[in-house]
Amino acid sequence: MASVPEYLYRMRETLPKGRVPAKIFNDPQIYQLEKERLFSRAWVFLAHESEIPQPGDYVLRWIADLSVIVVRDEHGQVRAFRNACTHRGNQVCKAEMGNASHFRCSYHGWTFKNTGELVGVPYHREVYRGQLDKSEWGLHPVRIDTYAGLIFGTLDPNAEPLETYLGGFQFYLDFFLRPGPEGTEVYAPPERWVADTDWKICAENFGGDGYHTPVAHQFGFALGFYPSSGRTHFMGYAVHIPGRGHCIGIGHTPGLPPFAGFPPEVVEGYQQALSPEQISVFRDARMSVATVFPNLSFLIQPFSLTPGKPGLKFCTMRLWHPRGPGRIEMWTWCLVPKHISPELKREIYRVYSLAFGAAGTFEQDDFENWTNLSRQHAAFNADTFELAYLQGLDWEPLSDFPGPGYAFTPYATEIGFRNLWGTWLNYLLTPPGEPVDPAKVPPAFSPAQQPSSAESGTYGFVGEE
Amino acid sequence: MVLRDVQLPRIDLDYIKLYHEVHQFLSYEALLLSERRYDDWLTLFTDDAVYEVPIRVTRERGAAWEFSPTGRLFDDTKETLAVRIARLNTEYAWAEDPPSRVRYYLSNLLLTATDAGSLEPARDVIARYNVLVIRTRGELPDIEFVSTHRHDRLRHTEDGWKIAHRTITIDHSVLQVRNLSFFL
Repeated sequence: MASVPEYLYRMRETLPKGRVPAKIFNDPQIYQLEKERLFSRAWVFLAHESEIPQPGDYVLRWIADLSVIVVRDEHGQVRAFRNACTHRGNQVCKAEMGNASHFRCSYHGWTFKNTGELVGVPYHREVYRGQLDKSEWGLHPVRIDTYAGLIFGTLDPNAEPLETYLGGFQFYLDFFLRPGPEGTEVYAPPERWVADTDWKICAENFGGDGYHTPVAHQFGFALGFYPSSGRTHFMGYAVHIPGRGHCIGIGHTPGLPPFAGFPPEVVEGYQQALSPEQISVFRDARMSVATVFPNLSFLIQPFSLTPGKPGLKFCTMRLWHPRGPGRIEMWTWCLVPKHISPELKREIYRVYSLAFGAAGTFEQDDFENWTNLSRQHAAFNADTFELAYLQGLDWEPLSDFPGPGYAFTPYATEIGFRNLWGTWLNYLLTPPGEPVDPAKVPPAFSPAQQPSSAESGTYGFVGEE
Repeated sequence: MVLRDVQLPRIDLDYIKLYHEVHQFLSYEALLLSERRYDDWLTLFTDDAVYEVPIRVTRERGAAWEFSPTGRLFDDTKETLAVRIARLNTEYAWAEDPPSRVRYYLSNLLLTATDAGSLEPARDVIARYNVLVIRTRGELPDIEFVSTHRHDRLRHTEDGWKIAHRTITIDHSVLQVRNLSFFL
């Protein structure tokens, strides 16, 4: 078992003051701890139900470095298993996706039904004298639960239900997952690539880093892609669920019609699928970006194939899969509303793929920044290199906001990130065997400390009109 | 993408001439990319050109497809290639500033007619060939590489050869590049 580095205890004191040691983003010891204390206990995203629509459909996924088969059995029930034969541990499934009623190990031939049950043992009579109790040696199940088409898995038998874990964040997830009563589907298999950056860097960015957009993606302003101007870019909300890590940024552009940028059938879909409170929060959203703790994110934003054309809104879902210290395997999907025409789905996908994916014009610049900063985080003394997480330390949450959690305005702030890293720290400092208590996560803001210095009304940045 | 139905052309002097013409065109095109002369590169595409890179998925032998029928890394027309180039021409394309060094190693060129017809310069031809794309970036000693196969439909026009349809298939199902801020 990995020991807890000293600087993590220091971080408990510095995080509420807006300081985070850079080393947490690139440290072999931290990566070990994350496997033992975070990915072994959290609810980790595995698959979207639309990826395995038919009985027998399966996909291969990961929880940290554990390979997991996610399969729909012959009765339509979704199940997940450790992708390892119980005889010698060989992979029983080697394809990323497919359809199978059984998984047969290519080493000694043990064969498992897609319910996980061991049904075939070659030479059972000869080598076990017919006495092996097959019911004891099925594939190891991974506990799963679903929300709005998302299948999550946890390795912790004592983990609280997914509903409790999401802690009200469902209110916000619905914007990405319920663009109509029928929900969403993936348009294509995920695009995947590896890069030298840490999953946490990406999860944080998609937790609502509106601050980077006008600079990191300045080309978009320069070419005339954005419907927002520099002056209004930061309007909107930042919301987080205290103690849970989940956070969302919602960028508003005033003066647009409700759900602008969505096709009429999606605007109608939202009106049917969302509650009046949800509609009031998302009606004016130009874009929204959210992270489900620890490493699943969503983004809805408008884009067009050429600058100046009316933007079309797409939704991307991404998994920041840890591959090692400072190393990530990126998974990205485009989610489309199930109820719209195939032509419209294709149109949305084309816009998505010009913006996101390895070749995406936005994604390119993010990965340039993320890989470069990750090298600095690996420096031998990066535990004393404290990064500035100072935004919104003393902000007051909105008192009349209709959704769960703490909401702030404008949407570009680091309050949610302090909650994200506080939640992460709570997992890493809670020894194995003890329950992770969300109440132990320190508040991400404290208005009482510095009541006078709120500057939430000024948005000066490069590119401002 | 599948060789099964290809009629290999008979090698005669006309074929050799055509082969070298196409080879020269593709080598020139690759050099334009390496030298980042993107605006010049774009003129080598027909106005109705398609440039696509499907997502590869590791499937069982005999699966219906290995390249996603719907998913694309690049899903481009000449219009969107122009947008990518306009982006690279701004001062804010951070992913390529300082620029990557990208080299294109072309090999295994196979030139065939588009259908059962004869191979002649007046018709579109199909060029199948491998391209090993090697990128080095910054002061990192590591290389990033993408092993690819191109399937091009090339058209002979009054202005010389043009690319009418390029499909690039990648060997990796999980790419080992941080991004594709260059062209394959």
